[in-house]
Amino acid sequence: MTGKTTPLYVVCSPCRRVGKTLVSRLLAEFYVINNRPVAAFDLADEGPQLADYLPGITTIADIADTRGQMAFFDRLIAADMGARIIDLSHRVFKNFFTVVDEISFFEEARRRSIEPLILFIIDPDPKSAKAYGILRHQISQASLLPVRNQVKTTETPHARPNANITPTSLDIPLLNFPLKAVIDRQSFSFSRPWGTSPADLPVLLKEELSRWVERVFFQFHTLEVLLGCA
Amino acid sequence: MTKPAVVLIGGDKGGVGKTTVARTLLDYFAHQQLRVRAFDTEVPRGTLKRFHPDLTDVVDINHVPDQMRIFDTVNSTDATVTLIDVRAGLLSPTLHALRNIGFIEAAKKGDITFVLFHILGPSIASLDEIVDTAAYLGDAKYFMVKNFINNTYFFEWDEATTEAYFKRIPGAVGITIPKLVEMAAEQVDLASVPFATFIGNKKQGGASASYSFVLRGYVRHWLEKTWAEYDRVGLTDILEARESSRPPIGRPRPIIKIAEA
Repeated sequence: MTGKTTPLYVVCSPCRRVGKTLVSRLLAEFYVINNRPVAAFDLADEGPQLADYLPGITTIADIADTRGQMAFFDRLIAADMGARIIDLSHRVFKNFFTVVDEISFFEEARRRSIEPLILFIIDPDPKSAKAYGILRHQISQASLLPVRNQVKTTETPHARPNANITPTSLDIPLLNFPLKAVIDRQSFSFSRPWGTSPADLPVLLKEELSRWVERVFFQFHTLEVLLGCA
Repeated sequence: MTKPAVVLIGGDKGGVGKTTVARTLLDYFAHQQLRVRAFDTEVPRGTLKRFHPDLTDVVDINHVPDQMRIFDTVNSTDATVTLIDVRAGLLSPTLHALRNIGFIEAAKKGDITFVLFHILGPSIASLDEIVDTAAYLGDAKYFMVKNFINNTYFFEWDEATTEAYFKRIPGAVGITIPKLVEMAAEQVDLASVPFATFIGNKKQGGASASYSFVLRGYVRHWLEKTWAEYDRVGLTDILEARESSRPPIGRPRPIIKIAEA
């Protein structure tokens, strides 16, 4: 242990295809680009998943049984691995938070100078609002921040279920369609976009992508400051 | 002055988790800072002694010298609570012996607090066992324990039948021990330490251990729920009863239905 506080991000939603893996990728590459240690954990069960994009830093985990939970949580809490990012499948959502509650995981994490932050991707599905409300009520040992992912979202702003109850949020800005197709490629890296973008991508689009990444990374930096992990 | 208390844990069937309940009670008493000693009747090598070697003596409860060792010293020992883990099949003979030596009578007079944890099995035979046991109880506090730790399903228990039996024992109180994740139970067993020591990540003797954080978490959660049951039935108050505050014999007590799992 270094004694320094390190962040633990849980990227989650009870719904599928809301952009959990995109947010996890961005977070992981935010650390990679700054040459800072990071470990990602993939609890997704359908592709393309985090391990497909970042195989070098991602561990695939399964917490369906006690043995898997030991392998995952014991490692997560024991090793000094820098920032930790969990990409949580919607199917594992309930089980994950049940286990976390039963074993007082967040409490123990904070005792070990690991600061948990739940990044909850909001979605118009009613079960999203319900799950957010439950987490907000039940989780006292971790910060909970809604994420507005405009890359995936299809709802109009007034239809957002939590728009009026969340004072702050992480915003993943809208990205135009050609760029969305670019970042969806498994070979694409946010930490070296020039090397992984198609050669024929117009300069204007490349600059737009760069600004988009900077805008997201700036918010990550702010989050780190707020968590006391910068 | 606090009356001496004797806590008997038994059940005529084997494998219903008597020693597990005894272990949770010893941890609970330590947490409540009650001075306790324990006797394990599983001769020659008791399971309870393996987990709580400093507190536990192994005795043969059928032997008069061992009976003297336990009951003649109830008033003179430093411990205010004497816990006896009665091995399978010995509950009725033990209660019979207690009646013969005048222990039940002493409890009835209020000289001693007598508490019985009857660990029930899943079969209807357990209900008959309750009636047999109740005949010996006198003024004892009688707790009927449904123990789910070893994955027991009380499938044979028809509600109406159960209620009919329970009505015959006014004052009986139900306690439910929840299920503990199997692997966690196994690891504590392998470690041979009290549950609280396992949670604290220590070995027997106090050295640091490296038990799984996940398993320790499961054990902590389970032990908290179990202790909440002991709090619910007011166990500490019962055991800390003072000689002057003893209730009149024969006072009606409320019937509390056994908690549903």
